[in-house]
Amino acid sequence: MTAAPEFVVAVPTRGDGARGDWGPGPAPRPAFLTDLRDGAYGPFDHLAQIGRAAEIAGFHGVSVPFDPAGEESLVVTAGLLRQSRWLRGTAGFHPGVATPVYAAKVAASLQRFTGGRLDWRLAIDLDPAVARAQGDFAEGAERYARADEFLTIARGVWHEDSYTYEGRYFQVLAGGFQAPLSDRPFPRVHLSGTSAEALDLSARHADVHLFDAADAAGAAGAEGGGLGALIADLGARAAGYGRAVASGLVLPVLAREDGAEVRAEVARRAAAGSPVPALAGSYEEVAAVLRGHLADGVTTFVLEAAPHLEETYRLGEHLLPLITEEVPHAG
Amino acid sequence: MPVDVYWRIGTHGDQRSLRDRTVTRGDWSPVVPGSIAPGVRAGRPDGYSHLDHMADVARASELSGFVGGLLPSFPFTDDPWAAAASLARETGTYRFMIAFQPGFLHPVQAARMSASLQRATGGRVVYNVISGGGGPAQLWWGDKVDHDDRYARTSEFLDVLKGVWHGGPFDYEGRFYRVEGAGLPAPLARQPFPEIYFSGSSPAAIRAAGRHADHYLSWLEPFPALAAKFGTVREHSEELGRSPRFAVRIDVLARETEEEAWDEIERGWRHVDPAALRGPEVGGDSVGWLRGQSFVDWPVTGPRELEAAPNVWGGFHLLRGGPAFGLVGSYAQVAARLDELIGLGVDAFILAGVPHLEEAHRVGENVLPLLRGHDLRDHAPSTPFTATRGTL
Repeated sequence: MTAAPEFVVAVPTRGDGARGDWGPGPAPRPAFLTDLRDGAYGPFDHLAQIGRAAEIAGFHGVSVPFDPAGEESLVVTAGLLRQSRWLRGTAGFHPGVATPVYAAKVAASLQRFTGGRLDWRLAIDLDPAVARAQGDFAEGAERYARADEFLTIARGVWHEDSYTYEGRYFQVLAGGFQAPLSDRPFPRVHLSGTSAEALDLSARHADVHLFDAADAAGAAGAEGGGLGALIADLGARAAGYGRAVASGLVLPVLAREDGAEVRAEVARRAAAGSPVPALAGSYEEVAAVLRGHLADGVTTFVLEAAPHLEETYRLGEHLLPLITEEVPHAG
Repeated sequence: MPVDVYWRIGTHGDQRSLRDRTVTRGDWSPVVPGSIAPGVRAGRPDGYSHLDHMADVARASELSGFVGGLLPSFPFTDDPWAAAASLARETGTYRFMIAFQPGFLHPVQAARMSASLQRATGGRVVYNVISGGGGPAQLWWGDKVDHDDRYARTSEFLDVLKGVWHGGPFDYEGRFYRVEGAGLPAPLARQPFPEIYFSGSSPAAIRAAGRHADHYLSWLEPFPALAAKFGTVREHSEELGRSPRFAVRIDVLARETEEEAWDEIERGWRHVDPAALRGPEVGGDSVGWLRGQSFVDWPVTGPRELEAAPNVWGGFHLLRGGPAFGLVGSYAQVAARLDELIGLGVDAFILAGVPHLEEAHRVGENVLPLLRGHDLRDHAPSTPFTATRGTL
């Protein structure tokens, strides 16, 4: 059985190559060329372009990761959703950034403003130094216990209008949203990680569990491995709670018309010191790999491809049709 | 000193007028023909949301000359961060004054959100720091910290927020917050720090305001009371070597003539719940609310009994949700009262009127042009006040 896949564009949080103000910009233009841009554009215009590209090129969503050294994801996501009609937006954050009541309150408004197109992606397994710089001193399994409480309370106040929960990390007394704040669905929750705690948290709370290329590779090396084994483990844990969790894959990708073009682009990036995605190939080759993941049970693909504007159009025009034509849209 | 005049963007829908309390804009009442954002088209909701009306209010007040809009935050409202981030690209010069309670966001997160929002708007973020009204609403938010400690927490919150703002590494260990090696990344750290409008009427609030406020923001009160409150803030600030400026949040009902203005109040008064005329009920630990109610001799029987001083009317909360005091009168009278407040040292206003969209144009076009500012030679205040002018 093959479910209808969702394709999501990963949005960069530290500029897009030379676009934005995160690194050296493009070469300066000769002064004799009239330039009308001065002061008219800011660093969010490039992000807006990427969001519009994802919308217009037929992607299902954009994903803005939690990046403490980059742009804040809720602000970025809110802007991208406001300027689109169909796109879903996934905002990444970690459970220490706000109380669950406040995070849910912000989400409730964004759901109202966007017709229910917001998703959450919780980052839990942070590097300890990064976490402490965010004011988060929780370590190990405690982080998962806190995330569990965070999601329990966030859903509790969303779905009940008199909700009390006294937890170890958070509390709420006679809380809960009244109509119309609670009218829209709770954001779909995306989680990640391959530890037992991570998979178990997903089993209880996630709508989508995101694996990444390293998870897939690591699992492939293990006995009876492959992403399929991880997905089966997750499915069994979720079934224990009477739930089902969709699986997603975050995948850097480089796709071109044919092998020669791919090799030329790989060589160009290697020479420039740019990262080269492990998944690089012709549109047909990349589609074949995605079909393999679909067969494993992956239903969400978060594709990372830079420069984001051009590559989003490219993937929308060349790659997505190869998959979506053979898998009728569930809607 | 220039005077900044803000408007208010309702985050809880709006009424068609003060004549009846039905909220027809936004979806806090059933969506029926005549509702706006969402409206009804071919028997179904038309796909617009309250945000679309908020965008209209933002554009209307920007066009009529207000420098920005306050986005309030309460349990039943839409969220100001969500609204400002969504509307960032739909206005040009308009500042978003975001109301928030420091306890609910971590200060490092607040810094990141603010800096990204500064980048999205070209530096148009302003803070309205509120420390909560206590009571059941505070527990609703999941906050059990008591009144004075909330202000201590606010103080720490702003210490951390300012500490990380221009980059790091910043370490902090307080009662409420602890960070290690924190700091905004370089492009975010280049943003201007938002101006702080600080609310709170208690001694604890005034102490915290002295340390952190650019503007000390009060609801409107009869002018002598307001002047005394400013005097206290000024004293505390001077002890700390700071000099805050003063801002007042004022509902305005202004019409061409005084009679028209009071007629509008009378029309609303017909629908006031008689039980509300017995006097206030207290649900929290908000000192500002208690102060507001103390300026009136309850119970009352008619609207003019709530006029605590000429044009200073304490019955707005009976006609719409929100604080009690505002100005009622002709365009010229309202302008004269605003001038008196400028004379007390006020250099920023947050004005509001119901309905917010149309009243933004009315006030922007008819009242603001009449303001004379510091030139008070022909404008002796109608009520005595004790605060001194000049140094602010």
